[in-house]
Amino acid sequence: MKWLVLAVKNLGRNRRRALITLLITAVGTAAILVGGGFALYTYQSLREQAARDSGHLILAHKKYFDEEEDAPMSLGLSDYASIKAKLERDDRVRTALPRLNFTGLISNGDKSTVFIGAGIDARGEFQTKGPFLKMLAGDVLVPGGPEGTAPEVMLGGELAKQLKAKPGSVLTLLSTTTEGSLNALDVTVRGIFSLGVPEFDKRAIYVDVVTAQKLLVTDKVSQVAVYLDATESTDAAAASARQAFPELAMQTWQDQAFYYEAVRNLYNRIFGLMGGIMVVIVLFAVSNTMAMSVVERTREIGTLRALGTLPRQIVQVFTLEGAFIGAAGAVIGVVIGLATALGLTLAGLQMPPPPGQSVGYPLSINVETELYVAGVLTVIAASTVAAWLMSRKASRRPIVEALTHV
Amino acid sequence: MNAPLPRLDAVTLRGIRKSYVMGGQPVPALKGVDLTVQRGEFVALTGPSGSGKSTLLNVCGLLDTPDEGTVSLGGQDMTPLSGDDLTLVRREHIGFVFQGFNLVPVMTVYENVEFPLYLQGVRPEERRRRVADTLARVGLQDFAQRRPDELSGGQRQRVAIARALVKSADIVIADEPTANLDSVNAAQVVDLLRRLAGEQGLTCVIATHDPRVSDHCDRVVRLVDGVIA
Repeated sequence: MKWLVLAVKNLGRNRRRALITLLITAVGTAAILVGGGFALYTYQSLREQAARDSGHLILAHKKYFDEEEDAPMSLGLSDYASIKAKLERDDRVRTALPRLNFTGLISNGDKSTVFIGAGIDARGEFQTKGPFLKMLAGDVLVPGGPEGTAPEVMLGGELAKQLKAKPGSVLTLLSTTTEGSLNALDVTVRGIFSLGVPEFDKRAIYVDVVTAQKLLVTDKVSQVAVYLDATESTDAAAASARQAFPELAMQTWQDQAFYYEAVRNLYNRIFGLMGGIMVVIVLFAVSNTMAMSVVERTREIGTLRALGTLPRQIVQVFTLEGAFIGAAGAVIGVVIGLATALGLTLAGLQMPPPPGQSVGYPLSINVETELYVAGVLTVIAASTVAAWLMSRKASRRPIVEALTHV
Repeated sequence: MNAPLPRLDAVTLRGIRKSYVMGGQPVPALKGVDLTVQRGEFVALTGPSGSGKSTLLNVCGLLDTPDEGTVSLGGQDMTPLSGDDLTLVRREHIGFVFQGFNLVPVMTVYENVEFPLYLQGVRPEERRRRVADTLARVGLQDFAQRRPDELSGGQRQRVAIARALVKSADIVIADEPTANLDSVNAAQVVDLLRRLAGEQGLTCVIATHDPRVSDHCDRVVRLVDGVIA
């Protein structure tokens, strides 16, 4: 207890210096927490986006993920309805949606271009995934479409521009059927969207799965996307699905989240480096303060040693001082970090579009207990280690030399 | 309860040699000193500057180790002890009074005097009793909550004496205890040290230039050029 009291009193010897060190430690802590919170928010957003795009689990034909199809839908699933029913018996599953991937040509009569199409469950897709795309004009698909009109299509913004299409325009889809012959289908443009990726917006179309099956002359779908109530249940639900459908191949959203993994790796390095720099700054600040304090108190160290204080007890006092600075700085840093996170999130700032995308995203900073505990402990540890390093040598200095220090 | 510690009060130095390196050259400070200080004796070490008084005092107080020779306290050879063991001997048996008082500035008078007892692991209630008693003996009972910088030089040295005596040391080592004091305070400090050391039966070794101090001592040992003259 005495050592604690002595350490606290020692911090008051040079208040200005202690305050500056405290502020550096606090700002360093806040920077770690805000930077880490931003990285966590980004990971969370990308994770949710990746899971939303592909589904948490993707079931397909046994060879679907490993081989190319010889003919359209040769590796398709023909009993989609029973798979969906069986999957949705699991309480963790919100819904299972079909997806039919196909390609072909789309024409306005004057001009044709290549499209990459997805046949979707028009009701379930938009209800389940929420606003995953930005509507530029028109509306999203509805099941079946208006009676007595051509099936409907949604076009990527750039594709619509190329075809000079707008909602209500009639276009023609041309694709190869499962038999290998060509089939054409007139479709009406219902909406024009952007996914935020220009390259994708040049080629993407959505049609109802029934429309896609009609065009390809098939009753199969390419895959079944399973949406769970919580992303955290992915592994458990995947294990159950593997048991229930041993004849099918399955991937999780993580297997298909190449962009998420790339960004995560990049951010881990960037924010890891930033965090490392902050810790080094704290280390240097506390080291500098402690080095000055040790020099100023050399005679006192000699006196304490003469009175019977062991070197490790001297180190203990300085280390406690370092730990106090670290702890106080970390606590202030937590307050600054929380205020900054709240302020930035409430400010509604927009981040610029990430590489390869055309749409920005709102800036938000996550506040997570694990991050805060790890940040605080790291700063306290850095500050304690700095004090320990600086005092270790001084504690071993010959007493007579210390007592005559000027 | 721990058994009482043996008294390490008689100081015996045999063949003490000590050199310091200055400018790459060894400079001898003590050239083979033999000295015995009896239990309860009040001894002054005198001599001109550079004669080796402080070095000899540091060796007596186990603050420094000799290059050659043996140091015995109470008949026990201290020479083979490790640094930590010497620290523990100082903690239990030796009190120090320094020329510059060497009080811890962030501690109050009470805390400065209490500190050696804390190191010894004395229980809080016993510490309170002994600190209060010792402060009363040096006449500073009303100054317990003051900081050292709120005291005069004489008062500070009395705090240093209280700190040396509170732990019931066997030996007190005092290095020029009156050098920073005016004549009135110097006389008071010497009287106090002599009286209290006498009451406790302490062995006291004092390095001094001050004849007012050496006049109060049982014996004066004069050093010249690292040897006893």
